[in-house]
Amino acid sequence: MNYRQWLIAVLVVFSLVVSACAAPAAPATESGDGSSAAPAGEMTFVGTPRNETLILDNLNGSLERPENFNPYTPGVEMGRGYHEICLDNLWDIDTVTGDQFPALAAEMPTPLNDDYTSFEIKLREGIYWDDGVEFTSDDVIFTLQTWMDTETLAIHGWAVDYIAGFEAVDKYTVRLDTTRSQPRLSKDLGVTIWDNRFYPMAKHIWESQDPTTFEYFPPVCIGQYKFSKTDPNGNWTLWELRDDWERTSVGQITEKSGPKYILWNFVGTEEKRILAMIANDVDILQDITPESMEVLTQRSDVVRAWHAGFPYADFDDPCERGISFNNSEFPYDQWQVRWALALATDIKNVSLGTFAGMLRVSPLGVPPVAAVQNVYHKPLVERLQAMTLPDGYAPFDPNFALDMAKIFQEQGVGGDLPTTDAELIDLFGVGWWKYDTEQAAKLLEDVGFTRNADGKWLLPDGTPWSISINAPSDFEVQSGRLAYAVADSWSKFGIDASVKPMTANTFWTEQATGQFEAGSYWPGCAIGADIYPNLSGWHQKFIVPTGEPAPGNVNRHASDKIAAIMDELEKVTSDDPRNVELSSDLLMQMAQEMHWIPMFGTSKFVPVNETYFTNYPTADNYYEGPWWWWSNFKFIAANIQPKQ
Amino acid sequence: MQFAKFLLFRLLTYVLVVWISITIIFFVPRFVPGSPVEAVLGRLMSQGTTMDPKLVQSMRETLTQLFGLEGTLWEQYSSFLTRVLLTWDFGPSLANYPTPVSVLIARALPWSLGLMLTALLISWTLGNFIGLLAGYHNKSTTSKAIETAAMIVYPIPYYILALLLVILFAYIWPIFPFVFQVSGEPGSWQWMKSVAYNSFLPLMSIVMVSLGWWIISMKAMAIDTKEEDFVQYARYRGVEDNKVMVGYVARTAILPQITVLALSIGGVFGGSLITEILFGYPGVGTLIYRAILGSDYNLILGTVSLSIVAVATATLILDIVYPFIDPRIRYK
Repeated sequence: MNYRQWLIAVLVVFSLVVSACAAPAAPATESGDGSSAAPAGEMTFVGTPRNETLILDNLNGSLERPENFNPYTPGVEMGRGYHEICLDNLWDIDTVTGDQFPALAAEMPTPLNDDYTSFEIKLREGIYWDDGVEFTSDDVIFTLQTWMDTETLAIHGWAVDYIAGFEAVDKYTVRLDTTRSQPRLSKDLGVTIWDNRFYPMAKHIWESQDPTTFEYFPPVCIGQYKFSKTDPNGNWTLWELRDDWERTSVGQITEKSGPKYILWNFVGTEEKRILAMIANDVDILQDITPESMEVLTQRSDVVRAWHAGFPYADFDDPCERGISFNNSEFPYDQWQVRWALALATDIKNVSLGTFAGMLRVSPLGVPPVAAVQNVYHKPLVERLQAMTLPDGYAPFDPNFALDMAKIFQEQGVGGDLPTTDAELIDLFGVGWWKYDTEQAAKLLEDVGFTRNADGKWLLPDGTPWSISINAPSDFEVQSGRLAYAVADSWSKFGIDASVKPMTANTFWTEQATGQFEAGSYWPGCAIGADIYPNLSGWHQKFIVPTGEPAPGNVNRHASDKIAAIMDELEKVTSDDPRNVELSSDLLMQMAQEMHWIPMFGTSKFVPVNETYFTNYPTADNYYEGPWWWWSNFKFIAANIQPKQ
Repeated sequence: MQFAKFLLFRLLTYVLVVWISITIIFFVPRFVPGSPVEAVLGRLMSQGTTMDPKLVQSMRETLTQLFGLEGTLWEQYSSFLTRVLLTWDFGPSLANYPTPVSVLIARALPWSLGLMLTALLISWTLGNFIGLLAGYHNKSTTSKAIETAAMIVYPIPYYILALLLVILFAYIWPIFPFVFQVSGEPGSWQWMKSVAYNSFLPLMSIVMVSLGWWIISMKAMAIDTKEEDFVQYARYRGVEDNKVMVGYVARTAILPQITVLALSIGGVFGGSLITEILFGYPGVGTLIYRAILGSDYNLILGTVSLSIVAVATATLILDIVYPFIDPRIRYK
């Protein structure tokens, strides 16, 4: 045999190996592919009927330890269906109104005294764990007792500081006493945004276990779905609708159930996730970039985002993006510097450079979520317009929305935009600060900054002024891009601004310890009118020296005025009319001091594929926000229907 | 005696290398900005969870205690050395607390070994074989074509090549899955088929990028070797051409390739990060990557120590057995 024959032989063997290995791919049931609408009887790779299996993108990737379902361990992954549809909360959140509603609880907590230190919590009757045991006050008491007794639980320190005592009044009633006045008990123990800390423990399962190390596998669920199976390699988790789904909070409240199966599946990198959605292998994708959204709209006619047309994204994510500073360090400890940087920010270009303009602007320190914008941003426009800096300069510009609409019309992409001014303001926000580099220069010069011959800014001591902006490098794409767009704006103004991309761990550590100059963080989250629980960390009593991890107020912003308003706010309940009044004062004071530079709400494209399922929440069908990764997804799931 | 002295020296060097490397791996992550406690808190806060400052402080203190991060660096190092030397126990993974590091490694390692060793052996065998043929018959058109093909594939960035395979075989012609999804009971026939089927694209991608190097290097060595005097002499003595190629050229040219193979086997324990991320393949590479991102000190130590020991051991074994493979080498 000569070498040519050898080579041919090798290639033939190679081809045979390829064919043999590829052979199992033939049945579509294994690969789960389907580039067109699903034929009846098609199965998923986990062996469930495709048209009965809602498939969600697993936002947090593959898991190292998929068997850990103990919600009180630091290593647990809650977001693969676990807290969304298996666990439940005493009070969950309506993402349209931003109001809490009772879920496992039968009603909102009832204060038993005027100083809000004793409460009665009524539980919903007829709620069962998926193993058939009824959920009662014993489970709530057991959970609270475990918190108090187990020093190795991360919640322990908070619990002993907060809880004075508790008892089961009867099978469905718990009395809870707190160590001091707590007018917002439901906020502390219920869901405000993504989830909260009270995950009821099934007493009959946990009572013989060490809560610090118990893995709770397989989990016993109290939501309308039960655990089916999980990939030992951590890529997917399958949940199955309970036969007794009526015996859950979702069943009782909505009288609906949801798809038979829900599968959280990790497909991989963004390119692969997009390909998978085009191939109808994923029904709901989570965080993607505008470019990927463009590919999806071009390649698939069954995929849509929150808005069917431009600007596609939902702007109601309850965390606000912008630029933070360590306000205790020079030169950012001076309000003139922070204001100068705000006025040197070309916000329209920053919007275009960050997410192609698909952003809602906000001058206040809470996100412009519709429910918040209607209570604060819009009513405060007059005060914003009247607001002046000490030299009499009025910094507010209310024209952002109309200007952006004009830009989009000029670009030829504004065909889907609303036409009235009010609708445009609803969409793009009430306005922001003027782009006024002259006023910015004046403020800087007032505190001793100068410019060199090249027009570059110098610190008062004559050294060049450079700003390094911390930015997330491989996560939270909007904040990452925002940092670059802002740096560009400030560079044009003559500041040596650069971006420091960093991994999540370093990014958060530097924020907590204050070891940063500027950062593309999001310290302003809120979803409803009662914004105090989200902003309470801004109180100056939480300031610690730079270098030490801060429990709150990571920006280290000291303000007697803000602290005084917060002290008042702490005492009022969520539904007290003074709450909004004081919160409005708080937001205006924060804006006046420019405690950080809030810029935009968060935009999420969250595309859905309508091949197999329908009635997803969308801008045209706004019964919930598209927050698939929140605990209240169980209520969204109940509304999603198989396509007939 | 010569061998005993050599062996003792090599063993001492081996222990020293491992100890120094592990010590470096202990300290380096602790000097990098970022803490595992803040990683856990940051993960919670980035999701918008309302965190009462008192809760943040309480969690921070408890986690610092749980993760064994109290005390000075020296105290932590002494405790670590004692634990690892006595029990080879790296403690719990901080990012996956309370799961022990050993459990995570034991789960990921077989996957890395299975994929990487298979890919290495296939590409090594095939690459050397093709390289030998191409080098021995280097004037032929086929040889030039093979070299050209290898030169084209070899420099393609791995990520691009792997993504191309995904697009071709999971999207355009969807015969393989987008992501690693094994089904069936572990050890069952269905499971084995599923593993082979799911591993095919990752395997192919690694073989394709590494094959070119083996072909090019073997071809170059075969060309050099076939011009050596002893090979010419064998030809003049009338030894059959195929026997010259296999018995004279291949046996000599393969020696450096064996060295690289041994070192590569050691490297297999570190997994293949890009392959694992792109194909969703569960392996040690992803473990290391995530451990670094999350400042999971214990997991970094566990996974990297494994790689260090594997490479050092492979080198040690190679040093010891090399004289048996190549008689020209002597122990000194």
